Amino acid sequence: MLAVEYFEVECPEPQGAEYYRQIANDVLLDHNLLKVINKLHIYIDPKVPVFVAVATLKRITTVVRVGDCANINPLEGKMTLSLSDETYLAPMLKIFWDRFGKDHVDQPDRFTIILTGVPATPAEIEQIVIGDPSASLHKDLIYAFRCIAPEGFRLRSEVFSKDKLTFVASENTLAEDIGALVAEMFKKMGEVPP
Amino acid sequence: MTLVPVTYKGGIFQHDIVVDLIEDLGGYVVQKHVLAQEVVLQCFVPKEDIELIRRISRPLFGEVTDSPLVGTEIAVVSMSLEIHHLPHPSCDIAEYVRRLGAKSNMVSLARGPGKRIAGMNDEERDVINEHDIAVFLLGNFEHCIEHKMPVFRRGIEVPLVLCGGPDIGALKRITDPPVDGYVGNVGRFMRRTKEADELSKLDEIIAEITRVLEKRREEIAKDPLSVAPARLMGLIKERIPEILEVTSPTPLTVQMAGLRVKLPYDTFAERVKQIEVEDGVLLGEIAEVQPSRMRDYILVRVLPFSETNTVV
Repeated sequence: MLAVEYFEVECPEPQGAEYYRQIANDVLLDHNLLKVINKLHIYIDPKVPVFVAVATLKRITTVVRVGDCANINPLEGKMTLSLSDETYLAPMLKIFWDRFGKDHVDQPDRFTIILTGVPATPAEIEQIVIGDPSASLHKDLIYAFRCIAPEGFRLRSEVFSKDKLTFVASENTLAEDIGALVAEMFKKMGEVPP
Repeated sequence: MTLVPVTYKGGIFQHDIVVDLIEDLGGYVVQKHVLAQEVVLQCFVPKEDIELIRRISRPLFGEVTDSPLVGTEIAVVSMSLEIHHLPHPSCDIAEYVRRLGAKSNMVSLARGPGKRIAGMNDEERDVINEHDIAVFLLGNFEHCIEHKMPVFRRGIEVPLVLCGGPDIGALKRITDPPVDGYVGNVGRFMRRTKEADELSKLDEIIAEITRVLEKRREEIAKDPLSVAPARLMGLIKERIPEILEVTSPTPLTVQMAGLRVKLPYDTFAERVKQIEVEDGVLLGEIAEVQPSRMRDYILVRVLPFSETNTVV
């Protein structure tokens, strides 16, 4: 976990803590989420039982534009877009259809889009925003923490603020004073709860 | 004649010579896999004839290796079918025992995860009891395993190997009464087993399964079976040709003391019972033919000599 500033797993069973450290690392790495987490503290007590994960997040400000995943070649009133990455192909096509109409957008093969007679310059098209990775960030983080937490812990509570995240799970009803435990975890990271 | 489980690997060219030889020597081919230009035979062969098979298959570039798990059906019991346990470690382990000749089935529990909420229903229990051995893959916490293991082992009659995150000493301490085998430091993990230390852990699981099965084999040898399950396999194939049309990977699964026939019980059970094994001895007389809890298959449990007074 090189990219994370602070990463601790706390558990009354030291061996269990070590295993969960590995699991958290693997899951966050697999889901490509290490780059958004700044600090992470996980507390698991199988006796209660409870799983608490508190994290502070890095701000993601970058959006994906057409220019990031396609090269534009203007030629005789036509613009040919050669895609290098098709991750955002579907939203890109949708935006082109809405903006220019389906008659002006042609996709002869998987990696090529041809725009004909569109009222925009190549530079303008390059700047069109086609995706915002931060939009699904919270959903992705919840999914990742569900994978990390023991499976039987199905009663969950997730709290998000702009740059902080709290994930609490248990197989029993969550205690009313769970907030105190969460605050304690944030304190250990040197942060205040959201 | 002592039959020992071995795996034969060789080219597809003239492999029928080896198959004929094994059958002529009184051995049985339990499974045959043809993979491109290669053939893998899992078989039982007479101990004293292994050298002969090696010698004859040498010009065909065949290789004979010991495979203690051939002819066994293993239940790999995973706590659930969720991403938490699949594909790692459950599939990794199930696949690894398969490579060594066993037929492994994954049994996933409907209410496996959790501590207080964990449980096992009668169908799961019966399915596990239809195998030769059950390998339970539990989690990382000692406290949870201690709490849920008594629930899982209730009614399980087959030998049981327990794999869990805590080390082997802790696993032994928290299971009372003890189970048949333990493998520590294999709990829940979310990465593929490919590093040397992870593979050696899988080898440890195999060694433990083999040890427990050896013990079971010794017990069976004290009161031998009325007929070798592998022999019944050949007979059923011969007398009930419908089995050849079943598309399962192993339409007839040989177990240590029985056989799973993947044909509907209602239609075929009577025909299976009426198969004449030798000189008027019917299969139904030396084995119990029962409906399996796994789909509508037939489960044949061969009775020991002490019950039938017959060995064929």
